[in-house]
Amino acid sequence: MSKVIVVTSGKGGVGKTTSSAAFAAGLAAKGHKTAVIDFDVGLRNLDLIMGVERRVVYDFVNVINGEATLKQALIKDKRVDNLYILPASQTRDKDALSKEGVESVINELKKEFDFIVCDSPAGIEKGAFMALYFADEAIIVTNPEVSSVRDSDRILGILQSRSKAAEDGKTVKEHLLITRYSPDRVEGGDMLGMDDIVEILSVPLIGVIPESGSVLQASNSGNPVIMDKDSEAGQAYQDVVARFLGEEVPLRFIDVEPKKGFFQKLFG
Amino acid sequence: MKLKGEMSMLNVLHVQELDLEKLCAELEQKRDEAPQFFMKSPIIVDCADLGDAAEQLDFSLLRQKLLELGFIPVGIRNNPVEMNARLVDAGWAIMRESRPSTASTEVSGDVSAETNQQAEVAQQDEPQAAPQVAPVGIKSLTIDRPVRSGQQVYAADADMTVLAQTSAGSEIMADGSIHVYGPLRGRVLAGARGNEQARIFCQSLQAELIAIAGRYQLLDESDTELKGKPAMIRLDGEKLIIEPLAH
Repeated sequence: MSKVIVVTSGKGGVGKTTSSAAFAAGLAAKGHKTAVIDFDVGLRNLDLIMGVERRVVYDFVNVINGEATLKQALIKDKRVDNLYILPASQTRDKDALSKEGVESVINELKKEFDFIVCDSPAGIEKGAFMALYFADEAIIVTNPEVSSVRDSDRILGILQSRSKAAEDGKTVKEHLLITRYSPDRVEGGDMLGMDDIVEILSVPLIGVIPESGSVLQASNSGNPVIMDKDSEAGQAYQDVVARFLGEEVPLRFIDVEPKKGFFQKLFG
Repeated sequence: MKLKGEMSMLNVLHVQELDLEKLCAELEQKRDEAPQFFMKSPIIVDCADLGDAAEQLDFSLLRQKLLELGFIPVGIRNNPVEMNARLVDAGWAIMRESRPSTASTEVSGDVSAETNQQAEVAQQDEPQAAPQVAPVGIKSLTIDRPVRSGQQVYAADADMTVLAQTSAGSEIMADGSIHVYGPLRGRVLAGARGNEQARIFCQSLQAELIAIAGRYQLLDESDTELKGKPAMIRLDGEKLIIEPLAH
């Protein structure tokens, strides 16, 4: 039974695309056939972060409009088996996404893939709505700051009232992913703490990704950060994937220096 | 685009007399009890109580008056069928099949016909207007999931019980009392249609705004020591009183 997972946040720039790429690559690396769809029509980024921007021929909108088949548009990742990318169109806008069109693409993907990861655009407009509408589960990406948390709360409300699951009287399973977490700054009082965020949103935590230079580096080089096995962020994303697949993994990289040093020695 | 038939909550104004001035004065008073709730709210006019006397009412004027009072007049129901064309011209929608005028019915058949009509009307009323019949406080709406930022929940003619949290930026409203067992963080409006006996009960008072029967207060502006604590809010005259819930 395949699952549709939306990666969403409400707010922009919190790490949805980075997380989508890492999460999808992680699932695929564990042997699950995974497709990741970029819903950010008009501002496509996923292909860049996945390092396939020069291999895009057809896109999501072409498939919706029947101008290309799904097979033609899906880009197979060269590093990880089982990983496929469906890029967004850069020359259209979000109105090109029709509910029927998106549904038929997702239904077709469901026949072949174990997991379909939907990378949502920011905002609560059509693109974001389409990305979450068919979701079975949702990963809510939040930064440790109040406006991001507020926007996540808003998107959770939309998820549970306007998604297809909600219309059918079911619920979308929620996971909270905190990104760009800096234990030092939490300690210093500049950032919201992990526990505060969980308390405000009351959604189960699936992982905490530490603020790390390796994320930017990975994005710029077109390698999902999860493949960087030496970086803390990469390891934290691996933990997220493991937890998503049902393993019990303790949280790491959430405490300040002394402990962090210990982990660095252990893994660095 | 999509066009769908949906049921929505609407206020129904039951007109019982022909004196428009008096009617509007009463309505204005009602509105001022909960201005936030009524302002720009859609309203339906029901003429069932007027019967054929509805013919004598100036519906263009009524429509104008309602607009002046801040309502949005939507439609009319239970008006004499002969008036349909005139009402449509005056900008009203006919909400429900009108009653055939009793004047054309034979005298002998009058009573039974009338009774049947009434029964039918009452039945039709049920799905739409049952809340109006039920006494306030009998019904209850239970919410077992968080009320998130941007969401609005309204318990019409009922009490509300929220078992989870309400988030900052959310709004919960009830015509009766409101009970919240998770943290209460958004706006909370009890007695939304003017019930001054309505109260708010919560386990952790962190609301942005509290209101009962139209009297509202920002929590940050009130000098309560009960923030984050179990509390009950009631109305005493014009003043909102915040009291500890546990003794």
